[in-house]
Amino acid sequence: MNHKVGLMKIEQIIASYKPMIAIPVIITLLALAIIAFNGLNQGIDLKGGTITTITLEKPIDQSQLESLIKTGLNTNEVTINSFNSTRATITMGGATDVLKFKDIINGTATIESYRSIGPVLSAQALNQVYWALAIAFIFMSITVFIIFRNIVPSIAVILAALSDIIIAVGGMSLFGIPLSLASVGALLLLIGYSVDTDILLTTRVLKRREGTITERALDAMKTGLTMAAASIGSMVALYVVTIFFIPSAEALSNIAAVLIIGLVADVLATWLMNLGILRWYMERGRR
Amino acid sequence: MSDIMDFLKDYRVILLIVLLIGSIAAISSLGIQEGLDLRGGSIIQIQLEQPVDQDTMNKVTTVLDKRLNAFGVKDVKVRASGNQDVIVEIAGVKPEEVADIVGTPGKFEAKINNQTALTGSDIATVSPYQVTGTQWSVPFKVSVEGANKFAQVAKGQAGAPVDMYLDDKLVSSPSLSEGLANGIPTTDVEVSGAEATKQEAENQAKSIQTILQSGALPVKVQIVGISSVSAELGEQFKNGALIAGLLSLIVVSIIIFIRYKNPILVLPIIFTSVAELILILGVSSILRVNIDLAAIAGIIAAIGTGVDDQIILTDEVLKGDKKSRRSRTGLKVRIKGAFFIIFASAATLIAAMLPLAYVGFSRGYTGIGILSGFAFTTIIGVLIGIFITRPVYAKFLERFINKD
Repeated sequence: MNHKVGLMKIEQIIASYKPMIAIPVIITLLALAIIAFNGLNQGIDLKGGTITTITLEKPIDQSQLESLIKTGLNTNEVTINSFNSTRATITMGGATDVLKFKDIINGTATIESYRSIGPVLSAQALNQVYWALAIAFIFMSITVFIIFRNIVPSIAVILAALSDIIIAVGGMSLFGIPLSLASVGALLLLIGYSVDTDILLTTRVLKRREGTITERALDAMKTGLTMAAASIGSMVALYVVTIFFIPSAEALSNIAAVLIIGLVADVLATWLMNLGILRWYMERGRR
Repeated sequence: MSDIMDFLKDYRVILLIVLLIGSIAAISSLGIQEGLDLRGGSIIQIQLEQPVDQDTMNKVTTVLDKRLNAFGVKDVKVRASGNQDVIVEIAGVKPEEVADIVGTPGKFEAKINNQTALTGSDIATVSPYQVTGTQWSVPFKVSVEGANKFAQVAKGQAGAPVDMYLDDKLVSSPSLSEGLANGIPTTDVEVSGAEATKQEAENQAKSIQTILQSGALPVKVQIVGISSVSAELGEQFKNGALIAGLLSLIVVSIIIFIRYKNPILVLPIIFTSVAELILILGVSSILRVNIDLAAIAGIIAAIGTGVDDQIILTDEVLKGDKKSRRSRTGLKVRIKGAFFIIFASAATLIAAMLPLAYVGFSRGYTGIGILSGFAFTTIIGVLIGIFITRPVYAKFLERFINKD
């Protein structure tokens, strides 16, 4: 095995911190560009609207169903999210009256689940989302400062977390995952969870005395990558199960997808950006 | 063998076993309170026209609660959320049926000889009912317009029944008192009657008061959101989550095995995950916290961080094992170092979950509060992890992996 050769290469890479920091920074900027140009869809929680899952009681094809609802509601804002011979999930613009909808599909289908959010409620939720994300990030940052009581390493951890969140949101924009209460939950979790590996790295590099910085970083990386593999692996499992077994639980598949993107981004942010800044800091301190 | 005995005698291990037994007992006796999205049911979010004070809010929730009960809807929870919103939770009702309940306006009408004398919008305030012996009365105030209309219809009808309808359903017909049948408009009106017993008089008065009040919601209300899931779909969500959890565990086990090539390390990680699941459910069961889809996602997240912590601990112990054969004190120091990372990670995760938990506690199941179950199970799971299951795993590593 050329395991040894691999390690040598990693060591050389870690030794030069500038390109290390550059890679996640470039990806983060790309993510920002994607968000700026592509925009971010909002789920019905946050922009208002109706999402419903119905059980089909007689054979009907997708376009027939779509036009049935469009004519019935007299609107073009009807999207069929998922469709098979027995069940369909439909999104409609505006807070559709459940009684009216029931009449329209009467004889064709019955309602399995129905979620309708009016403009008042969605505006309120959107406001809460921004506050929750901001406060969560601030609380996390304060906690990191308290843990390390050392400005540069703390900022390195916080920047890595910020980069994760931006890349995760960029991924949502790219893959069309809507900003919804569920995906916000995933982002909040990411704020708290993605710093785990950064804390591991910073503690091992900063507080230990055995071996060189590179050796300590490599040790931490071995642990950190196992952690990342376990968490990404379990999220992939969750994603696959929701897609195949419970397609109408979109909330769960969105959470899983956002976490997968964020955790992959975290591998780069931690082991390139955070480690890069940390090296730069340690080496400057020595001079 | 002595290792196993020694391990089992450790106070941390005993604590875990006791808490596990306690949790299983709590779950089997109290049950797990499933969220409406898992057992089927509906959440209706109602917003008042303007923010109101505590008294008015209490009146609104009482009226809504009684009104829903009057329709025979069982298992209803009406809760204020802040000073302008009300959340109504109804279990076991199909989405289709919710349509009917939501569709009912709660229209109140009083008719005398089939002529409408009063409607809900005429009622201004309702005073507490009075019972003297078997006689009862409920005084209430109506608007000036209402008073004029009522006086006209009631004129000369003393003793005639006043038929009270709630959504066109006859709910009561007390008789009209003489004082109100003289054609002179008055804003102070009262309905009264006599029953066979004092108890019956009491009940009748109470229900009339409710009906009058329900016609007299102190502020205009508007339905701003509906969320409804059928029991069948809920069942499917539950099974899906179970399969996902199981598959996640298998994936994690495989990754642990690939990394350490040691089945002895895989077992405790599976055991810890299952133990944490039981403890989180036990705590939820005791605190009567709803386990909904979001809460399940939180459990998966908490168990995920648990696995991460165990990897940190394992590496810390194995690293020392490989490099130098130092004494147990060296091992203790390394475990302490790992716990610094574990506690710090837990602190940041809890910090990030606090805003969600706050909204959940203060506002209930609305807006981002829908995710409060997520915050709750994550925080509880992380706390259980760092204080109960992680120390046991550290003890396990000390005893069985790091053999000096």
